[in-house]
Amino acid sequence: MSQTMTAASMTEEQGGEVLTLATRIRRFAEQDPYRVCMREKRFGIWQDITWADYWDKVELVAHGLYALGIRPGDRVGIHAENRPEWLYADVGITALRAITMGLYPTNPAPEVAYLLQDSGSRILVAEDQEQVDKALAVVDECPDLEWIVYLEPRGVRDYDHPKLIPFEDLLERGRVHRGSDPDLLARMAQDAEEDDVVTLIYTSGTTGPPKGAMLTNRNVSFGIDILVFSGGLFDPSASQDDVTLSYLPLCHVAERAATVWNNAGAGVTVHFAESIETVQANLKEVQPTLFFAVPRIWEKIAAGIQIKMYSASRIKKLNFGLWMKVAAFIGAQRVANDGNHTLLTRLLYAVGYPFLYRALRDRIGMRKVRAAGSGAAPIAPEILQFFFGIGVPIHEIYGMTENAAVATVNRRGRVKLGTVGEPQPGTELRIDETSGEILTRHPGVFVGYWNKPEQTAETLAADGWLHTGDVGEWVDGTHVRIVDRIKDIIITAGGKNISPSEIENHLKTSPFVKEAMVIGDRQAYLTVLIGIEMDTVADWAQRRQLPYTTYRDLTEKPEVLKLVQGVVANTNERFARVEQMRKFRMIPKELDHEDGELTATQKVKRSSLNDMFGHLITDMYGNRTEHAGGDLVDVHPSRDFVPSHEQED
Amino acid sequence: MSRTPRTLRRGRPELYSDYAADQAIWNTPAKRWSTLVLLALALSLPWFLGRDLLGLATLVAVYAISGIGLNLVSGYAGQISLGHAVFMGIGAYTAALLGGSPQGDIRGFELDLLIWLPLAGLVPAFVGWLFAPIAARVRGLYLAILTLGLLFVGEHVFKEARWLTGGSGLGRKPADPVVLGFALYEERTILGTEVPAIGVFYLFALLLLVVLAVVARNVARTRQGRAFSAVRDRDIAAEVMGVPLLRTKRLAFTLSSFYAGIGGALLTIVFGFVTPERWNLLLSIDFLAVVLIGGAATISGPIIGAAFVVLMPRFIETFAGSLPGWFVSTAVGGGGLLNVFQLQRLLFGVMIVLFLVVEPRGLFGVWIRVRNYFKAWPFSY
Repeated sequence: MSQTMTAASMTEEQGGEVLTLATRIRRFAEQDPYRVCMREKRFGIWQDITWADYWDKVELVAHGLYALGIRPGDRVGIHAENRPEWLYADVGITALRAITMGLYPTNPAPEVAYLLQDSGSRILVAEDQEQVDKALAVVDECPDLEWIVYLEPRGVRDYDHPKLIPFEDLLERGRVHRGSDPDLLARMAQDAEEDDVVTLIYTSGTTGPPKGAMLTNRNVSFGIDILVFSGGLFDPSASQDDVTLSYLPLCHVAERAATVWNNAGAGVTVHFAESIETVQANLKEVQPTLFFAVPRIWEKIAAGIQIKMYSASRIKKLNFGLWMKVAAFIGAQRVANDGNHTLLTRLLYAVGYPFLYRALRDRIGMRKVRAAGSGAAPIAPEILQFFFGIGVPIHEIYGMTENAAVATVNRRGRVKLGTVGEPQPGTELRIDETSGEILTRHPGVFVGYWNKPEQTAETLAADGWLHTGDVGEWVDGTHVRIVDRIKDIIITAGGKNISPSEIENHLKTSPFVKEAMVIGDRQAYLTVLIGIEMDTVADWAQRRQLPYTTYRDLTEKPEVLKLVQGVVANTNERFARVEQMRKFRMIPKELDHEDGELTATQKVKRSSLNDMFGHLITDMYGNRTEHAGGDLVDVHPSRDFVPSHEQED
Repeated sequence: MSRTPRTLRRGRPELYSDYAADQAIWNTPAKRWSTLVLLALALSLPWFLGRDLLGLATLVAVYAISGIGLNLVSGYAGQISLGHAVFMGIGAYTAALLGGSPQGDIRGFELDLLIWLPLAGLVPAFVGWLFAPIAARVRGLYLAILTLGLLFVGEHVFKEARWLTGGSGLGRKPADPVVLGFALYEERTILGTEVPAIGVFYLFALLLLVVLAVVARNVARTRQGRAFSAVRDRDIAAEVMGVPLLRTKRLAFTLSSFYAGIGGALLTIVFGFVTPERWNLLLSIDFLAVVLIGGAATISGPIIGAAFVVLMPRFIETFAGSLPGWFVSTAVGGGGLLNVFQLQRLLFGVMIVLFLVVEPRGLFGVWIRVRNYFKAWPFSY
């Protein structure tokens, strides 16, 4: 109760000022200027950044942007990986009462063009040559774009384009401007209002083009109150003693909450991973106390443990096998006990700690994790149970951009696997009786999509209820279970409603399966397209001395087909007869954002997969066997792609 | 200026926020503690061991000093040297001349240790500095032969310079280890217990070893130290990168000779008497064994190697009695296949072969393997 009290007091306007991200950072800089608040790994060393450094850079960026002509309400794009400059820019833009628009580093040039046009951004902060090239390729299509600020001069220095300006120059202009108008930010802070839009967060758009959700100061403050101060994201609430690693795209609301809001709200020390490839190594160094990941990352960590164990020595395998059996028991017990330890599991865990759990957690960088979260996509219960067993309790959280990531969470000690938990404090949540759609209402609900009143009206009812587009149901009257996205639900020819994501998630618990798309809308039975996980299957093939050349070659090996068949059969056992898959085909390439098969958040775009791999689907439902795949009895390689060494026999 | 609260640092040994911590010798608590414990153990030996074993312990410390020296030039810089014994000899006789007492024709100036000990290092270092330009012209096998030549020249000079060495087969007494009137080779009561003379000297040798080992470790991680490794791994590539070959090799030989000289001077004091024949090829090979068995291009390696090379003969001697009489005879003129001395030399040779084949990184490499096994726990890599 006391937590919600402090939360409530934090939202109040203090000293006549609206509490924005900028004023929060400024307060930290005034109270504790020399404390480390961020670290960034550069030249092999985690370089300290203090609150004073942070605020100084924010001021310079804000003044610099002002000098370049940015005024309240203008949009500024940020196209960079996670790094301190992202935060300097974001908070600097907020300090000017302008609007931050984040782009995914993986966004290809046409999407960059769309986002810049749609938002009408006047300035783009681009990280390096790669992003600058994308922007320059489409600069003529974006009439509003006046400046491109680049962070890394390497490769860009020699470009001769009138709109390019290095970040250092921006800071220098800011320094000059700050000298001439030192009160600018104070005035802006005075004028700031709760209803100022502070950021446009573009939704990933599995259907149609992305839409920019507008979040205001009020939305962000509510998000911080609930997620940061009321244990909505991490329970117990985050504090200055907490350490996080920032590695997911900052333009996504989940990472914005985990990084920017946690830092600005509670003063959590943020560490920026060098890149997505080094997350494992960085985790081990940083040993965060709070860790938020998407299911894909959790799956990868779990699969990584399995793969490393395959090549371990005999004694280590024995030790691992023994204690993982115990961990499975502990996991099952904790799941049965709402996530709590029993005396027995606590004891078992304590005994196993020196033998396995401590070292294992240390190796995966989770030794100090006291609270972990999973969200942004549904996660398989098996993965959660696995992590519960080794002592990393993951709490599934549910929310979306449009409600500032605030909807439901599995509270510590009240966990129900398979659900996304209970409604957050201060949140009204109901499930529509006819459609089964989940609706939420609270001060964090966005004010609309940028320049898209029609779509806004579809999503946001006049009485403030947000239509999430997810179908859900109550479990035990307290917890919410998500069935699926409304538009993804499969209705078979037999009229049965089936949620494909549950089946897909179970398939993805296998370390060998990376992508799975269940098909069967208006069909007599279900089928599935499977994409293998290159790393693990390659390792598996190597151990079997199975030669292969490319991803496609590996995918279509009869042995691999058998392996996948096993995974499908295993999943089928868990489901009712109508929910069982009869056939599968292999996706012959690794899905990619650039090729339009995945969204920026690595979610499969069903419609584009239906288009691109339609021939695989007709192959299954037309009872042909032209493409690599199989049914529940047999497997067959591709007809048009027979490896040369098999032609001989 | 920044402040990092303790809660942000604890339990994160691999998170380095400055280069000093990243490059520190004792960069983990485990290393700090184990070093302290080992040092405390080594310091306490005079209160536990007898005269005989303390002599061996002193020998280990002295061998380690010389071994570290050879490791600098052969392990780090990759310049194989069979002439290490000569530099030890030069150090020994510098010390004996300056610090020893005259005996008939043999000269001696009875100076203080504070004068003769540094010079016992500096004089060989100077000789090494002079010799290096010649050695730097060749590499590999040729360098081994060249340093062997140096060894023969040295042996001849030592035998002939009677005023200095006492001459072939006769020898002379070493320097007196006296610092400002305080004798280091004298029975003393320390902390209420009688410590034998060799025990006192052991403490002194241990102190020197610690200081010189830390210095060598620091040299190894400086720019010059990295230049050593670059020259070892590929001298042409190093030169292309701008590492001056002559200067780097010269520094390696000079430093190595300094350590050899100090080691030689202390060695004579442990033996109490020194003949010119001692500084021969066998002694050089002993030190190559110290480096190879201990672990090339490490500092802890030669210390472990020195312990092994010094203690193994004693170990064999002790346990030879339990071997069957037809195989090893312990008594002089016994009827066994081998005598103890032969067994020692034989095992010594076998050991060198085994280490070169099985574990080229030496005993230190064995330790690294053990450590990595547990470091990788619960995985294998």
